Amino acid sequence: MNTPLTYPDVTSLAVPVFIAAILLELGWILFKKRGGRYETRDALTSLMMGAGNVATGLLLGFVTYGFLMWLWQLTPLDLGSSLAAVVLCFVLDDLRYYWVHRLGHRVRWVWASHINHHSSQHYNLTTALRQTWTGTFTLMMLLRAPLILLGFHPALVLFCGGLNLIYQFWIHTETIQRLPRWFEAVMNTPSHHRVHHGRNPRYLDANYAGVFIVWDKLFGTFVPEMDSDKPDYGLVHNIATFNPLRVAFHEWVSLFKDALQPGLTWRERLLYCLAPPGYSHDGSRDTSDAIKQKYLARHPDQKGTTGFR
Amino acid sequence: MPLEILLPLVVLGIAGLGLALHLLGFSTPLRLTCEAHVRAAWLREHPEDAPQTILLTQDGRAALLRLASGHLGLLRALGADTVAQYLGRATWQITANGIKLTLPDFATQPLNIRLTEAERQDWLALKDHL
Repeated sequence: MNTPLTYPDVTSLAVPVFIAAILLELGWILFKKRGGRYETRDALTSLMMGAGNVATGLLLGFVTYGFLMWLWQLTPLDLGSSLAAVVLCFVLDDLRYYWVHRLGHRVRWVWASHINHHSSQHYNLTTALRQTWTGTFTLMMLLRAPLILLGFHPALVLFCGGLNLIYQFWIHTETIQRLPRWFEAVMNTPSHHRVHHGRNPRYLDANYAGVFIVWDKLFGTFVPEMDSDKPDYGLVHNIATFNPLRVAFHEWVSLFKDALQPGLTWRERLLYCLAPPGYSHDGSRDTSDAIKQKYLARHPDQKGTTGFR
Repeated sequence: MPLEILLPLVVLGIAGLGLALHLLGFSTPLRLTCEAHVRAAWLREHPEDAPQTILLTQDGRAALLRLASGHLGLLRALGADTVAQYLGRATWQITANGIKLTLPDFATQPLNIRLTEAERQDWLALKDHL
């Protein structure tokens, strides 16, 4: 079980490609006068969040890797490192990503980490790099356990996770409208992911896919982009800062403030941590479901339309 | 990738892109132009609580709102965009150039709103008028 298996750190290797692609997108927007918006401080915040994500990965990566290696000692299975194993691992890891991402939007403890990725009101390639610094604390590494126990080596699983993140980089753009129909049907695309970043009521909690959009279609969370309802990017209630430290930690601070306020039952404290974002013990806030219902109350003609089923 | 390559690449990449964006004019802050602009930006985040009174600053950076719910709201420019926040639990402090607002929100740094003397009087009057 102690197979010495190593793969390149593809995320770090992709950094020059990320920079080149951002310059290309910027040039396109300047030249064509369309295809997205840039703002200096917003982009800098996103880039610093990306750098911080790499740094926290270097500092805390041993936690996840240690956990996965511990599981690797337990499993009697070893699927090896053949091309078929790599492909199968990539597909199953993408399924793992779908559920991590879905929990990231439906469980506040995980949302506290993921929220920063949605905190920009812009949608360009720098937004892709606005990544969490606190992912380790969500314990979502647990969802990698089945892959390891099935016999995929931890190095392979992390390699596939890196490839998954690299795939998702290029879909954070408005320069690409729609791709060929077969591609849009199977793969996550800029159009599908714009929906995911939309704060429009119809687009909330949709399109969690990493690489294959088929997971959303399979599990009922797919919403196509509508030309009549252009995605409005950002959070339901946007944050008022470009400070990376505040971006990284603000929802954790809010979560603990909520859960530790005096006069709550233990159930309410737990719900502040684990219920969907927007939960409040006194009903003073709105979850995404409540936001959709209120939107439909104001726009009854939209009942039954895309995103409101 | 070795750290001795990755680190300079990241630092120079961020600095270079930041400089390029600034020189290309992407640092120009949003200016709130009129009450309609403020109203639309507020309703974008709080569609069920329409502004009844709007006090827009001369520099177009912020507006104090009295809302249909009776609460106070602040709409302000943040980079090229806006943020819309309730001021229910904000602390108000008079400064030489206007008013300093401190919100009990980790994501919001204390805000120095630049106001003329007349604007400050109007803002304080709207704050105290329930």
